[in-house]
Amino acid sequence: MIEVRELTKRYGSTLALDRLSFQARPGRVTGFLGPNGAGKSTTLRVIVGLHHATSGVALVNGRRYADISRPLHAVGALLDTGAVHPGRTAFDQLACLARSHRIGSARITTLLEQVGLRDVAHKRVGGFSLGMRQRLGIAAALLGDPGVVLLDEPVNGLDAEGIRWVRDLMRTLASQGRTVLLSSHVMSEMALIADHVLIIGRGRLIAETSMEGLARRFRRDVLVRSPRRHELGRILRAAGASVAFEPQGALAVTGADPATIGDLAAGHHIPIHELTPRGATLEDIYLDMTGQAADHRAGGGGSR
Amino acid sequence: MTAIPPAGERAASMKDVAAAEWLKLRTMRSTWAIWAGAAAYTVVGLVVIMMHIGSYDHAPPAEQATFESADPAVTVMPIVAFFIGCLGALAITTEFSTGSIGPSLVAVPRRRTLLAAKTVVVACASFASGALFAGLSQIAVLFLLGDRPPPVNPWANWWDAVPTAAGTALVTLVAGLVALGLGAVLRSTAATVAVVGALTVVMPSFAHFLPEPLHLRVASVLIPNLAPQVAGAESAYLLSPPAALAVLAFYVVVALAAGALCLCRRDA
Repeated sequence: MIEVRELTKRYGSTLALDRLSFQARPGRVTGFLGPNGAGKSTTLRVIVGLHHATSGVALVNGRRYADISRPLHAVGALLDTGAVHPGRTAFDQLACLARSHRIGSARITTLLEQVGLRDVAHKRVGGFSLGMRQRLGIAAALLGDPGVVLLDEPVNGLDAEGIRWVRDLMRTLASQGRTVLLSSHVMSEMALIADHVLIIGRGRLIAETSMEGLARRFRRDVLVRSPRRHELGRILRAAGASVAFEPQGALAVTGADPATIGDLAAGHHIPIHELTPRGATLEDIYLDMTGQAADHRAGGGGSR
Repeated sequence: MTAIPPAGERAASMKDVAAAEWLKLRTMRSTWAIWAGAAAYTVVGLVVIMMHIGSYDHAPPAEQATFESADPAVTVMPIVAFFIGCLGALAITTEFSTGSIGPSLVAVPRRRTLLAAKTVVVACASFASGALFAGLSQIAVLFLLGDRPPPVNPWANWWDAVPTAAGTALVTLVAGLVALGLGAVLRSTAATVAVVGALTVVMPSFAHFLPEPLHLRVASVLIPNLAPQVAGAESAYLLSPPAALAVLAFYVVVALAAGALCLCRRDA
């Protein structure tokens, strides 16, 4: 269980986190979403005590991270895949962390096998691809068999098979009753992995909802094409739907599902040429919500 | 699932954290490169001493009576102290340069504990390296000198070399720990190595250019020059062994206290 209360972090005059509060509960994968620079990494770094909060608290299992005895057994974190000494072997990299907690080499070997790095266990990390480093970072996070797992952009640099592997692993960890919090700036990745999402922008929580709820919250409509669109529009309005006329002669109907529209049209002998239910994609929703909060946007061109 | 450690389980012990730090140090290639560098320089220093003894043998008796002593504590050990200082620096600066300070602090979030463990490891490695290189170079010089008398022979008896070896080993330890503390403050390998180089090599050379009374006062408190003073060996410097020991302790305490303060206060 992770609990963040009124967390504020300032770097000089930059406000990175602005009274951020949320909880990540055990037994589910919580996605931490936001554009680059939204404060995701800062939040994760404050949770594990790498950065000091300006105000507010971040608790893991009800305690400050620094107060946890043998923290690798409580929390596993992957914060920066590049944060490895390139001259060390994958095995030594894990051994250096494991030794402080008396975690034996058998556990390291098992984990390297689990993440698919068994064959390169004694190769120097400097020669690893980004995907291999991600896998090594995930192995490091799982060293102490922790109940809370924090992963910052864990699927960055992974291919489709790697993303599937991370998704399955996260789901397994959550199903074992662990708290899994992972960040991403790519909604489509998160849609595949997370059960619950926290969306942040400019250090503030914009939304907290289930993945399904997120999609449901946004307007869905039905695109209707008919040669007698004005007549159909009047009938639909009379039936309580709202109708907007779109360019190229289409109607955008909300408040009535395709079956109702079809039945009404048939009842009035109005021909229908197209009837398409439309839903905003999760990516659209995310960009819509974070658009105003994004700090760094490419100039011009629009992003939708 | 073993999510929460059992109640009453104690925090990671200092012994385990120090063992992890030792593992980190010995799994870095630069550690071995530094030891190899120190060994290579020791050989170079011994060759210089061999040539010095050769010119002593060819000098007329009047010149021999005032000949500079063939002391490896002067020729070899200041540079070895610099090498070992680099080792002390790298023990922490590589963590910052590679970003591995993050995973290290996630494993050991109590920053003073982490620095204390690094201090123990760097202290042991520096003192052992200092004792090894000082001891080996002195044994080699004893063989090279044979029965040549003072002043070219710095020791009247072989056992007189022991306090000097201990003094230089202590100075090497101090160089390592000062570098560790400075590394925690500066976080940059290049900057820390530059400062350690200034303290162990550059400043002692430049001190010679100071006017006479000032030269001795300044030179007496510079790290490599404290070796003969702490050992009570014959030298031109001003400090008694306890005073020299106090100055060495002062260097270590100031550097490590500054390092601990910066490590604890600043974001990693």
